[in-house]
Amino acid sequence: MANKRNPIHIALLSLLLSATLFTVSCKDEEVVVEEENELITTVKLNFTSGGTTQSFKYSDPDGDGGKTPTIDAISLKPNTAYTLTVEVLDESKIPVVNVTDEVKKESDEHLFVYTPTPSSLLTYTYGDKDAKNFGIGITGSAKTNSAGTGKLKVQLRHQPPINGKASKDGTPTPGSDDINIDFNVTVQ
Amino acid sequence: MNRTLFLYIILLAFGVGALFAQTPKDCDCFIQGIVEDDATKQPIVGAVVFIKELNKGVSTNAKGFYRISSICQGKYTVIGRIVGYKEKSYTISLEHGAEQNIKLYETELHLANIDIKAQKIDNLTQTKSILENAALDQTRGQSLGEALKQISGVTTLQTGSSIAKPVIHGMHSNRVLIMNNGVRQEGQQWGSEHAPEIDPFIAKKITVLKGAAGVRYGSDAIAGVIMLEPDTLPDSTVMKVEINSVYFTNGRQTVNSGIIEGGSNNSNIKKSTKIPYSIGYRVQGTFKRGGDISTPNNRLANTGIEEINYSLSANYKRKNWTSDIFFSHFNTKIAVFSGSHIGNISDLIEAIKRGSPLSIYTPETFTYNIGRPYQDVLHNLLKIKNTVKNRNGVLSLTLGRQYDFRKEIDILRGDKNLTQLFKLRTYSGELIFEHKPILKLLTGSIGVNSLYQENLTTGMLTKPRSSTVLIPNFKNFTSGVFLIERIVRNNWEIESGFRYDIRHLNVYRIPRSGQNVVNNTQNNQNFTGTLGANYRPNARWNFMANASSAWRAATVNELFSDGVHHGAASFEHGDENLVPEVALNLSFTANYVSKNFQAELHLYNNYINNFIFLSPTGRPALTIRGAFPEFIYTQTDSRFQGFDFNGIVQIAKNLSLNSKISYLKAQDLSNNQALIQIPANRWENTLRYDWKKTSVSITNLYVAKQNRVPTKIIFTEIPSSEIIFTEYGGDFAPPPAAYSLWSASASQQFAINTKQSLNISLTINNLLNTSYRDYLNRFRYFADEIGRNIAFRAKYFF
Repeated sequence: MANKRNPIHIALLSLLLSATLFTVSCKDEEVVVEEENELITTVKLNFTSGGTTQSFKYSDPDGDGGKTPTIDAISLKPNTAYTLTVEVLDESKIPVVNVTDEVKKESDEHLFVYTPTPSSLLTYTYGDKDAKNFGIGITGSAKTNSAGTGKLKVQLRHQPPINGKASKDGTPTPGSDDINIDFNVTVQ
Repeated sequence: MNRTLFLYIILLAFGVGALFAQTPKDCDCFIQGIVEDDATKQPIVGAVVFIKELNKGVSTNAKGFYRISSICQGKYTVIGRIVGYKEKSYTISLEHGAEQNIKLYETELHLANIDIKAQKIDNLTQTKSILENAALDQTRGQSLGEALKQISGVTTLQTGSSIAKPVIHGMHSNRVLIMNNGVRQEGQQWGSEHAPEIDPFIAKKITVLKGAAGVRYGSDAIAGVIMLEPDTLPDSTVMKVEINSVYFTNGRQTVNSGIIEGGSNNSNIKKSTKIPYSIGYRVQGTFKRGGDISTPNNRLANTGIEEINYSLSANYKRKNWTSDIFFSHFNTKIAVFSGSHIGNISDLIEAIKRGSPLSIYTPETFTYNIGRPYQDVLHNLLKIKNTVKNRNGVLSLTLGRQYDFRKEIDILRGDKNLTQLFKLRTYSGELIFEHKPILKLLTGSIGVNSLYQENLTTGMLTKPRSSTVLIPNFKNFTSGVFLIERIVRNNWEIESGFRYDIRHLNVYRIPRSGQNVVNNTQNNQNFTGTLGANYRPNARWNFMANASSAWRAATVNELFSDGVHHGAASFEHGDENLVPEVALNLSFTANYVSKNFQAELHLYNNYINNFIFLSPTGRPALTIRGAFPEFIYTQTDSRFQGFDFNGIVQIAKNLSLNSKISYLKAQDLSNNQALIQIPANRWENTLRYDWKKTSVSITNLYVAKQNRVPTKIIFTEIPSSEIIFTEYGGDFAPPPAAYSLWSASASQQFAINTKQSLNISLTINNLLNTSYRDYLNRFRYFADEIGRNIAFRAKYFF
């Protein structure tokens, strides 16, 4: 009796084993994962004065890493008042996504910051306001001073509310950068 | 002087006389029983059973029977030591108070019948630390990483206080294997901020095996193995319930877990031709909810957690066949401190300079709300195990299926959601045959384990859509065959084994600069071996020595990372050309047990060739969001050497002192400097007072400053003009100062009646609300560690 193998037991064991394999192989379909990422690939600065507009672009079409981005060198006339508007695009998608509209919609969480180096190169003033009277920076004015060279740092600070409490206070301190790029500037 | 001496002698004589005046019957107690193998139920001949407090012992006879007589009344610890088996200890009380019923038979007062059911152990010659019973109860409510911190040699790699990964001897992630009820836990464990997706409540025992255990478990067990094992299911008609309830004041966190288990068998049927069978089942569930935690000075915004887990298991035993099925569901949502998601280098440097988070990140009001950024992790595990015993040995087949779905939801960027999704399916199988002793000498096992997994992060498996995912889609197949044999002879045990593994990795990705799908494959194979010896010269001493090798092929993140790792605010580059790591671990352990003192010293020396790690380059990587610190996965020859010490000394009757020391020195041999991110040395002392069913303790943990850190950038091809983080070998800040933490705890057991029990305890962690930072916590750049935390625990069971 000890060594006799009960056929019923063998059948049960095989059934259990095959049931396992069955459940294992059934779940093999491929799954499509939804994409939710959105990139900022392009930042365009438009300087308008006396009817003419000059555009300077920062373009990084493949996102972080990969090919190095192309950055236009900004060239402006001295002692001139320009209207400065910015466009933020995602050119990796077809059709191109205009991220500036989204930023405008959520202006209470965003702040563009323009920092010239040296600070005497040009002076920026905000031309727009959000609901709390803080600047946004999608449009503003840039007044160049005497001739010189330097850099213009363009930042888009994202300052979302934390735990329901707003963090945007008009200064660049809160939040983190969605854009932080440097353009070379020549005023001549 | 002479008069005092005379007085002393009189008193002594009285004292001695008093001893002799005790009734002879009080020292006529005896302890007896049978020692048998828990699995085969066969008696074990030649086992040593001894009483720790008296250091008095005997060996079992041919029937497995032992008897220790002439014992005085008292409370004792009986220890069963059988070569080839786990040591078992039991506490018994041969006492009677004056209020006890004098009608009790003498034999009941003076006899204790203790049958020792011994369990065979897989790995004889490697050091194990076990967390069970009261020690495990003290950790209930904590995550797995947190719970294991009390084992010397084990620390944690943290991302805040809610995410903790276990670190054994300085190594973590893919070098620590976690066995979830006998199934290899497979999730996104490569990530330094990915905590193990396991509910510790499923386990009644957590074992940490320190050292390379590659031969038995396969690739990745370089630092060790953590095994979570539930209790064996009941096999008789019984129903048991256990409810655990924990409340932590810091974060107002509640954890509730319950187990119902039962069984049934046909032993009541009296029929000579019946085939005995039994069934058992268990239903378990855990619910956890916590809100924002506080450091000694601030509340940290967005540091809550929510978790819902449950598990179901059942088994069926019939004659020589056992079938087990186990299913577990783990689901957690962990908020990540908003003040840690720093954008780029300039923000990082500002944050470090500030020393503490901006006030927007340290709100006055408390909330349970989990906002962005947060992690949402789901892990399902199904295990089916069949075991058949026959006259040649035991054959078991374990099949597992796991589904791990991780979502990392980042703060809104450019208005749209930024979510990284990781879907991992793993199928595993293990077939092992443990044979009965050959030539009455050699016992061992032979087995094969295989694993197949598919990882999806974008599009479809072979057709990815995005090039900006953190790790690409892949298919991974590994398989290994092993043989382990041991010889037991008198006081010696020698164990040896070897294994052959293969790995085939198939990656589908879109490189950054391209548009087309690229398919990379990697094939690796390796031999690993183990040789160990265990020598027990007497009941007090035990010596173990072991030499083991293990290997690990590079994982997908190490090979193909290329982008900003948002959680870490770093730009990481993988290296396709990384070759597998090969480790050789030498260890020696000495164990001493006596009436008032027991100690274990574990020494280890681990050489890892081609050790793969993420090293900072010190220079910025430019992106549209600014500059990020750059890191590259690289490899080097390394050596990890150190020791763990654990000693308990009985200072007075109910008072004991437990001291644990861990020391680790990890060296980058190729670059002749310390390795980055190695835990600092520590010394922990606990003074404990035990009295009947009450226990009170106070603990001090001292963690030294980690002075062994890299000082130079190891990438010589990078021109020094590009390097901006030069001071700390590429790190952004020096390691934090040494710190000393106090904690206290008290616990009480109540027996409600013969069946029901209630244990309650109070533990105060960081008693003095000390402000400190730990080198292995990523948040050390931004905020202090958690402040005082009082835990109330209750365990009710019958």
